[in-house]
Amino acid sequence: MAAGGTGGKTYSFKVVLLGEGCVGKTSLVLRYCENKFNDKHITTLQASFLTKKLNITGKRVNLAIWDTAGQERFHALGPIYYRDSNGAILVYDITDEDSFQKVKNWVKELRKMLGNEICLCIVGNKIDLDKDRHVSVEEAESYAESVGAKHYHTSAKLNKGIEELFLDLCKRMMETAQADERLKGNGASQSASSRRGVQIVDDEPQATPAGGCCSSG
Amino acid sequence: MSQRTERRGIHVDQSDLLCKKGCGYYGNAAWQGLCSKCWREEYQRVRQKQIQDDWALAEKLQREEEAAYASSHGAQTQSHTQSTAPQTHPGHTSLGPFSKFEEKKTNEKTRKVTTVKKFFSPSSRTAPKKETQEVRTTSPSLSRHASFETDQVSKDFVDFLKNLQKPGREIHKQCRAFIVNMSGKKDLGADELSECVQDFYQSMADRLMSHYKGSSESVEQVMDQVEKYIMTRLYKSVFCPETTDDEKKDLATQKRIRALHWVTIQMLCVSMDEEIPEVSENVVKAITDIIEMDSKRVPRDKLGCITRCSKHIFSAIRITKNEPASADDFLPALIYIVLKANPPRLQSNIQYITRFCNPSRLMTGEDGYYFTNLCCAAAFIEKLDAQSLNLSPEEFERYMSGQASPRINSSDADWPGAGQTPDVVATNPVLAQLNHNLELLSSLNSRQETVMEAAQSLQADLLSWPQAVKREVQEILEKYPLQILPRTVSAIDANNMDNENLPPPLTPQVFAG
Repeated sequence: MAAGGTGGKTYSFKVVLLGEGCVGKTSLVLRYCENKFNDKHITTLQASFLTKKLNITGKRVNLAIWDTAGQERFHALGPIYYRDSNGAILVYDITDEDSFQKVKNWVKELRKMLGNEICLCIVGNKIDLDKDRHVSVEEAESYAESVGAKHYHTSAKLNKGIEELFLDLCKRMMETAQADERLKGNGASQSASSRRGVQIVDDEPQATPAGGCCSSG
Repeated sequence: MSQRTERRGIHVDQSDLLCKKGCGYYGNAAWQGLCSKCWREEYQRVRQKQIQDDWALAEKLQREEEAAYASSHGAQTQSHTQSTAPQTHPGHTSLGPFSKFEEKKTNEKTRKVTTVKKFFSPSSRTAPKKETQEVRTTSPSLSRHASFETDQVSKDFVDFLKNLQKPGREIHKQCRAFIVNMSGKKDLGADELSECVQDFYQSMADRLMSHYKGSSESVEQVMDQVEKYIMTRLYKSVFCPETTDDEKKDLATQKRIRALHWVTIQMLCVSMDEEIPEVSENVVKAITDIIEMDSKRVPRDKLGCITRCSKHIFSAIRITKNEPASADDFLPALIYIVLKANPPRLQSNIQYITRFCNPSRLMTGEDGYYFTNLCCAAAFIEKLDAQSLNLSPEEFERYMSGQASPRINSSDADWPGAGQTPDVVATNPVLAQLNHNLELLSSLNSRQETVMEAAQSLQADLLSWPQAVKREVQEILEKYPLQILPRTVSAIDANNMDNENLPPPLTPQVFAG
C-alpha cells in the first residue's frame, strides 16, 4: 500500500533507516545528503529526517529518509516507524557481530509486517576498518540473498558505496511502484487503500472506491 | 408448578416475539420489536425524513452563506457575478452532473452503512446522541464562541476560493454538501467517519489534480484550505467522539504520566543539558508547543505544533552536543518533553490527526515524521517498565508507588508538583536558576551594605576632618604661640661687623683714551 504517489511524474518514497546505536546511521545519511563527515560545519539542525530530490531516467524522485531510534529499549516501536515505507536500509557495523544479529531481527520483523512490498538493503558500514572485521563478507551476502535483500558495503568516512546504495534502492523502489501501478491499471483491485495516484478523467465518474470496501466490512 | 411457570413464560414470550405491527411474522428486539420487513419500511420512512431535513438544512445554510457572501462584497461583486454568470454557466453544467453523482453516491453509501450499523446495534446508538444534544444546549457560551470561530474560517475559505473563481464555487458547494451530509452521520463509529472524510479528501484531490493538470503544489494549497474548512466545522462532532474510548485512554495516559513524575532526564539518557540557559529555554518552548496542540482544531495546525516542538528539541540537542541530532537523541528527548508537559488529551489528539489529516501529509512529509515520533513516545510511555529505564524491577516499583524517589546528583524529584517534602533540593532548571539568582541578589545586597558602610564612614571622616585639622592647628598654635617681637629698625649694615674688612667701594674712573 501507499506506493509512492505518482502525481505527474514524481515518485515519493519513504525509506526507514534501521540499525543499532553506533553503527553510523547518522553519518551515512549526512554523508549522502550533505556530503560531510564528522564536520562541525554541518548546516542541518537534525539528521533524523532528511529529504533528497533525485532524477532517475527522467523521472523525479523525492526521497524521505526516516531515521529510527536504534536503542534496544525502543525496539518495540519499530512497526510505528516503518509502516507504509517503501524501502528499508538496515545498517550494521562490520566490526560488530551483535549489530549484524540485530539486522537479522529487523529483517524478520519487516518481512512479517510488510511482506515483499518493501525493498530491503543490508548495509555493512565502516569498511575503512576492514582489519577489525568481525562479520564475514560471505556470511552477510549469503544471508542477504536468502531473505531477498541486497547487500552493500559502505564507508561514510571514505564516502564509499553510499551513492550507489541509494541510487540502487531508488531504482528498485521505482520498479516496485511501477509494477503496482500496472496491477492497478488492470482495474482488478480498486481498494480504498490506493489513495493518491489514481488519475481520473473529469467527465467520467470514477468507480466508487470506498463503497465496496465499506459495505463488505 | 414448574410446568405452569414454563407455560406462562412461553405465553408471554410469544406475544413479545411477534412483530409489533401485527403482521404475523416474528419480530426482533434488535429491530425495536418489528419483523425485518416492517422494520425496513419503518426505518426507510425515518431515513427519508432525515434526508429531507438534511436537504432543507443544506439549502438554508446555502442561502445564508450566499447572503453573507453577497452582503460582504457589496454591489460591486454582485455586478461582477452577474456579468460573469453566463460564462460560468457552461462550465458549471459540465461539472454539475458529476457533483450530483458524487452526492448521490455518498448518500447511498451512508444509507448503506448506517443501515448495516443500525441492524447490528440499534439501541446503544440513540443514547449518546441525546447526550450530545444536551451538552450542546447547556453550554451556550461555548457554542457561541465556536460558531464565531467557524464563521471566521468560513469567511476565510470563501475569500480564498474567490481567487479560484469558477472551480472555487464548485469546491465550496462540495464542501458544504459534505458537511451537511456528515452532520447526519453523528452516530457512526469513528472509523467510518474517518473513512468518509478520507474519501472526500481523495475524491477532491483527484478532481483538483485533473483540473490543475497535475500541478501538485496548487492542489496541495487548495486541499489545505479544504481541510481547514471542513475540519473546523466538523471538529465538535468528530473530536473524541462518544462512540470511542478515546476519552478513557486520555485519562489513563494522563494518570500514567503523573505516576511517572519521578523519571529523570538521566534515566532516559537524553542528551540535553538543561544547565545551559539556551537549552532550558528551548525545552520550555517545546513544552509550550506540545501543550498548545490541544487548542488547535485543524489537523494540520496540530501537526504544526508538534513540528515546532520538535524543532525546539533539535535546537536544544544541537546546542548541547554541537552536532545534528539523530533519531537516537531525538526520541528520548521527545519522551522527556511529553512526560514533563503531560499534554492534555494526548490520545484523542493523536487519534484525531490519524483519522482526519490529509493522508499525503502524514505519510511522507516532515510533519508526518515528527507525528510518528510522538506516537512512538506515547506508546513508549504506555509500556514503560523498569527495563526501559535501566532500573531494577524493585526500584521501579518503589518509585511508582511513591515510597522512594530517585536521588541523583544529591537532588530530589525533578518535579515541582512532587515537592510535597519541603526540604527538596530541586534540580529543576528553573528553580536552580531561581536559587542562583537569589544567591546573586543576596551577595549583591551584602556588597551594597559594605559599600554603604564605607560611604558612611567616609562621610563621617569628611565631617571630622576639618575639625581635626582645626584642632591640630589650634594645638600647634597653642604649642607655638605667635610671638610678635618688637622690631628694631636699623640701618642695613648696622650689625655688619665685617664691613670694615670690605674693600672700599669702587669709584668710577674715567679713562681717557
